Amino acid sequence: MGEVQEKVIRVGNSLGLHARPAGKISQEAQRYAASITVHSCDMEADAKSILDLLSLAAPQGTELTLRAQGPDAGDAITGVSKLFEDMFGEDR
Amino acid sequence: MASRTLFGIPVSAGIAIGRAYYLNKSHFSGTVRQTVPDADVPFEMERLTHAFDAALHDLERILSLVPEDLKEHSAIIESHLMMLRDHKFRQRALDHIALSRVNAEWSLERAVGDVQEIFASIADEYLRQRMQDVRLVAERVLGKLVGGESGHQAIKHRAILLAHDLSPADTIELDVNKIMAFATAQGGKTSHAGILARSLQIPAVVGVEGLGDDLAEGGIIILDGFHGRIIIDPDEDELARYTDLQTQFETYQATIMRSCHLPAETIDGYRVQVLANIELFEEVVAVNDNGGEGIGLFRSEYSYLNRDGMPSEEELTEIYMDMASLVAPKKLVIRTLDVGADKLMRMQSSAEANPALGLRAIRYCLKHRELFRTQLRAILKASVLGNVSIMFPMISGLQELVEVKKFYREVQEEMHSEGICFREDMPMGIMIEVPSAVITADFLAREVDFFSIGTNDLIQYSLGIDRTNKDVSYLYQPLHPAIVRSIKWVVDSAHRAGIEVCLCGELAADPFCIPVLMGMQVDSISLGPQAIPGIKRIVRQASMEECNALLKQVMASHSVARNNKLVREMIFRRFPEELMFYSSLVDD
Repeated sequence: MGEVQEKVIRVGNSLGLHARPAGKISQEAQRYAASITVHSCDMEADAKSILDLLSLAAPQGTELTLRAQGPDAGDAITGVSKLFEDMFGEDR
Repeated sequence: MASRTLFGIPVSAGIAIGRAYYLNKSHFSGTVRQTVPDADVPFEMERLTHAFDAALHDLERILSLVPEDLKEHSAIIESHLMMLRDHKFRQRALDHIALSRVNAEWSLERAVGDVQEIFASIADEYLRQRMQDVRLVAERVLGKLVGGESGHQAIKHRAILLAHDLSPADTIELDVNKIMAFATAQGGKTSHAGILARSLQIPAVVGVEGLGDDLAEGGIIILDGFHGRIIIDPDEDELARYTDLQTQFETYQATIMRSCHLPAETIDGYRVQVLANIELFEEVVAVNDNGGEGIGLFRSEYSYLNRDGMPSEEELTEIYMDMASLVAPKKLVIRTLDVGADKLMRMQSSAEANPALGLRAIRYCLKHRELFRTQLRAILKASVLGNVSIMFPMISGLQELVEVKKFYREVQEEMHSEGICFREDMPMGIMIEVPSAVITADFLAREVDFFSIGTNDLIQYSLGIDRTNKDVSYLYQPLHPAIVRSIKWVVDSAHRAGIEVCLCGELAADPFCIPVLMGMQVDSISLGPQAIPGIKRIVRQASMEECNALLKQVMASHSVARNNKLVREMIFRRFPEELMFYSSLVDD
């Protein structure tokens, strides 16, 4: 099973969670053994799936919850939330 | 068998007669549901997995082939790759096989349907359009499933390419030597495919209604790039008629190309400069080949569209410098960012109720000063090379122009203090395309070095019609007395202030309008590179005397119908071959 970790993050880049950031997140998420999900209101997306992430359609400012479960859950949360903090390399 | 005609939007002139070849046939419409016995389920699943992997492999190869200058397209290809790698999408398709005991093709279609459903509920227009990408990706996989080559490699003989849509990946793969012409079901006048066809000089029709899979592959079709027609199974009469037209066009084309490098000077010695409108760096070759005397309008939007984030100052400077040195010593007029209305950047919201009247072009730049500053600095830096001019779009009045000039000066001073070189006297002009700018053209003329009349927007704004709206597009009348008077007033105001005036927009490429514009004594015209030879030929055979006489009649007329008749008569009488190939007005 492993530990469950959670973190609340915010979509900071002006374009929101479009194809490029979604691609980056899924790529990063695939590096971990842990299952990682992104929650927005009542929606849940698999962070390893670009299509799932896109279907969240999260614009700038959206508050999301990252949840990871598995042996490397802590690292997974750190890795994925770093992308959000760096605004996916957009907006400088 | 009787022939059938399909209609679309002509985007590149010419006639092609040849065999039809389908690219990535839209298999979906023909996919059938087949139940498979339990024992075959693992086999179907394996087939699907293989198809996914093979499609993935293809796309990775294509990505590695993308040339440096087209790298902005690779972002799209990369996102397609991500979708192919998406384990959930793949799993969904595999699940359908396992759960419903169906064939791989059908389960793939079901998986696309699932995603489609999710995407359909998304409010964001941009994201909803990504659905198109999912479909394109699935088509690739399906192509692998149904077996055989469905890509360009499979084209053995020269053929007319038919496709649902041409993706950037497809256009990169196109083998020009094998493709005589192409037609797509999707796309509009300004789609990338159209630009590509014109620069390759192959006939093309886009947005063809009914371009389905039911057309017999390998059958003979005629593609008419003048009128946007596809004739399937043509009869002997049609074949004979179009073969004639093709020969005539080729002869005509050869004639006008021979003289396209000569100056556009009337028989009585009045000269007009003929420049080109372009969007892509690659088009410069076509400008030179077609006798263009410079670039009268370089649309700078391309660096901003279809991408995430904004181009950097270095990136823009490099593009402008390359362009300036390639075009030199000829003139290069760079128009600052004209986004909004039909051209939206990803970072812009499309929520405006009335985008044509909204935050677009110069208004957008004045609101986003950092973005504007970056572009101004890049243009100023490039001004040290070649013969560059700067031009601001959508100026609506003096106050706005003063505001723009103030900011432009600030940027110049800032560069001064940083010790960056630029050409202090780079010519600075504005687009006249808003009616308020027309009416105050005499004031504006004192503030700038040149005018450029953008007739497409001017006609829309002056006549209050959206020409992409089928219900009102009949009111798009270039020879409406209001338009004729507006242009005349702008030209006269410019000349009184001692500045030059260029006319860009479709009007400049319209053989019927050119004598009228000549009569007004515009200094230069700027048009699509491919239209230059034909227009030059008319100018070279016309006399200022007859242009003046025509203008006088047009100025005195109060009806569009009479104006159309006047210009038509002149072209009929003097340039009959133009009628055959550019019959924009005779069709109405």
